[in-house]
Amino acid sequence: MSSFEQKYNDGIVKGFLLSALVWGIASMLVGVWIAFQMVYPELNIGPYFTFGRLRPLHTNAAIFGFALSIIFATGYHTVQRLCRVRIWSDKLANLHLVLYNLTIILAAITLPLGLSQSKEYAELEWPLDLLIVVWFVIFIVNYFGTIFTREEKQLYVALWFYIASWVTIPILFIVNNLSIPVSWIKSYSVFAGVFDANIQWWYGHNAVAFVLTTPFLGLMYYYLPKHIKQPIYSHRLSIIHFWSLIFIYIWAGPHHLLYTPLPDWLQTTGMVFSIMLWMPSWGGMLNGFLTLTQAKEKIKTDATLKMMLVGVTFYGMSTFEGPLLSIRSVSGLGHNTDWIIGHVHGGTLGWVGMMSFAAIYYLVPRIWNTNLYSERLANFHFWVATLGILLYIVSMWVSGITEGSMWRAIDSTGALKYPNWVQITETLKPYRLFRGIGGALYFVGLITMIYNVIRTIRTSGDGFKEIDLRVGLKEAKAQ
Amino acid sequence: MNWFDKLLDWFSGFTEQWEKHGVKFTAYTTVAILIGGIFELVPPFFLTKTAEPIAGTKPYNALELAGRDIYQREGCNNCHTQMVRPFKWEVDRFDPQHSYGKDGYSKAGEFVYDHPFLWGSKRTGPDLAHESQIQPSAEWHKTHLINPRDTAKGSIMPSYPWLFEESSTLDATDIANHMKGLRKVGVPYTDEDIASVATLVSGKTEGDALVAYLLKLGKDTAELSKNLQ
Repeated sequence: MSSFEQKYNDGIVKGFLLSALVWGIASMLVGVWIAFQMVYPELNIGPYFTFGRLRPLHTNAAIFGFALSIIFATGYHTVQRLCRVRIWSDKLANLHLVLYNLTIILAAITLPLGLSQSKEYAELEWPLDLLIVVWFVIFIVNYFGTIFTREEKQLYVALWFYIASWVTIPILFIVNNLSIPVSWIKSYSVFAGVFDANIQWWYGHNAVAFVLTTPFLGLMYYYLPKHIKQPIYSHRLSIIHFWSLIFIYIWAGPHHLLYTPLPDWLQTTGMVFSIMLWMPSWGGMLNGFLTLTQAKEKIKTDATLKMMLVGVTFYGMSTFEGPLLSIRSVSGLGHNTDWIIGHVHGGTLGWVGMMSFAAIYYLVPRIWNTNLYSERLANFHFWVATLGILLYIVSMWVSGITEGSMWRAIDSTGALKYPNWVQITETLKPYRLFRGIGGALYFVGLITMIYNVIRTIRTSGDGFKEIDLRVGLKEAKAQ
Repeated sequence: MNWFDKLLDWFSGFTEQWEKHGVKFTAYTTVAILIGGIFELVPPFFLTKTAEPIAGTKPYNALELAGRDIYQREGCNNCHTQMVRPFKWEVDRFDPQHSYGKDGYSKAGEFVYDHPFLWGSKRTGPDLAHESQIQPSAEWHKTHLINPRDTAKGSIMPSYPWLFEESSTLDATDIANHMKGLRKVGVPYTDEDIASVATLVSGKTEGDALVAYLLKLGKDTAELSKNLQ
């Protein structure tokens, strides 16, 4: 074990795992808070903690704080093992960790101060954008340095997904953030109006693709087979769905702009490619599922595997719902409503969140060389999180469809049936309350996991022994 | 499915070669994502750049621009859209005076001076694209911003009383700098526009600016269509 530890740099994995826990709490706590602001406006504490300022804090902390931390932790962990070399430069890795966390801390300060470019998921002002470019370049140099000095010739499928992410994220990020600074805290996008919208949703949709999807597919392709000790179901399915996924995803942005003044042909292109995207997405889901079925009897006892199963299920569901919502007529009803919020959270809480938790439960005992403090608590986390997600998305489905229907309802004289906006807001209140409760349940799960992780880390160095819970249970019964 | 197998054989035949070459693999991945990216961004760039501004659409004056900055700072776009879609029910709701004739939805030409666009993606509160025509009273907007429940019982919007406090008085130098910056990205501000900042904003609060911005939304195009009618 000790020679193993020397070969790979796991310190950097630890660093990013701990970052994930911290930013996970921050993002989800703010998420629960703003969910209840939607029901109780007195929870808006001005000027720094109003919904308008906290919502960007929530999304940025969740995507770039929590999800990216998981991505970097698993990225550093997998690349060393799959290339069978230590990370190219330990110094660059540490610099990456420090600068990255500095950025997120500054984001957590500047967003409540109202410093915002007002572009969704790209709210940070230009000095922070430059800082991001610096550490991302540092990271990419280090990552590709590792790949180019590797001892394993074949690039395993997990690496493809990570590589595609590292290539695409900078392109999207730099183009969308091009702006003219007018002071240290304010800049204006160089693009205007319709074209600015086009760039923004090219970026916005592909942030979903290359931050929240491909790295997590990479994660799935490594940890799922590793965890169940079975090979991935089909390598050829991996090939076809990887190439078609990255090729098609990039076209889908305009489905966020249906029925706007964006040129019609572009809207239609976005819609067609979004529908086509369904197939490569389900290719990934099926590969995950079919791999899982090779160990299906383990699902009953293993919380990590259950999380992966639910994660992959929500991936399949969200990537079915996405193409559905990109159809013009469905978008006409769903666009701008709570339905979209539900859709996004199906993907983030279900797919990204569950796969992240699975990775944490897999990594923490191995990296800290000990066993998980409590399997029962992990199981509790799984159930409370799953219940939370279901409550969240079902209430948002109902709320969104109600909202869209009330907007468009017309009486027999052709006049609006609900001209009074507040009447609609009042109708949606109970659903939004249930959303908040769902989010709170999910948060309880997160706190349970963090407690479990802290207790686990305390016994660090006790030696990791893999326990097959099926055998464990039988033995327990026999005794 | 024999043809599909053959297709897969052919395709995996050369992708499997790339899997052993890090540089090649990365290069082809980049090509794969650039094709769609270029198609989506380059032709529309020329098309939307040449899109004529609707005659009568004027850039925001100093006070309105200051208001737009506040709108962005407070993240109003997280709950209010500025995009009326071409549906009867949407036009009826957000163009009740029929100020824009029978085509009361949003057009590209209305947004040519918007850096950045503020269409939003979630409509928790009403759309504001043509707000000047829906609620033209500055006094109403002020009351609403200080406490939304005073004008709309049951509203879930946050209150913004501090915007109207003395500490929120506008700084003319900042706004002049903002206009100079916007001029660099193509907004046709004249030297006189920039020289007039001080007189326009003197003694005004951030709240006044925000109200001025709300009363600018949809004003130019509504006036244009009234003249045409």
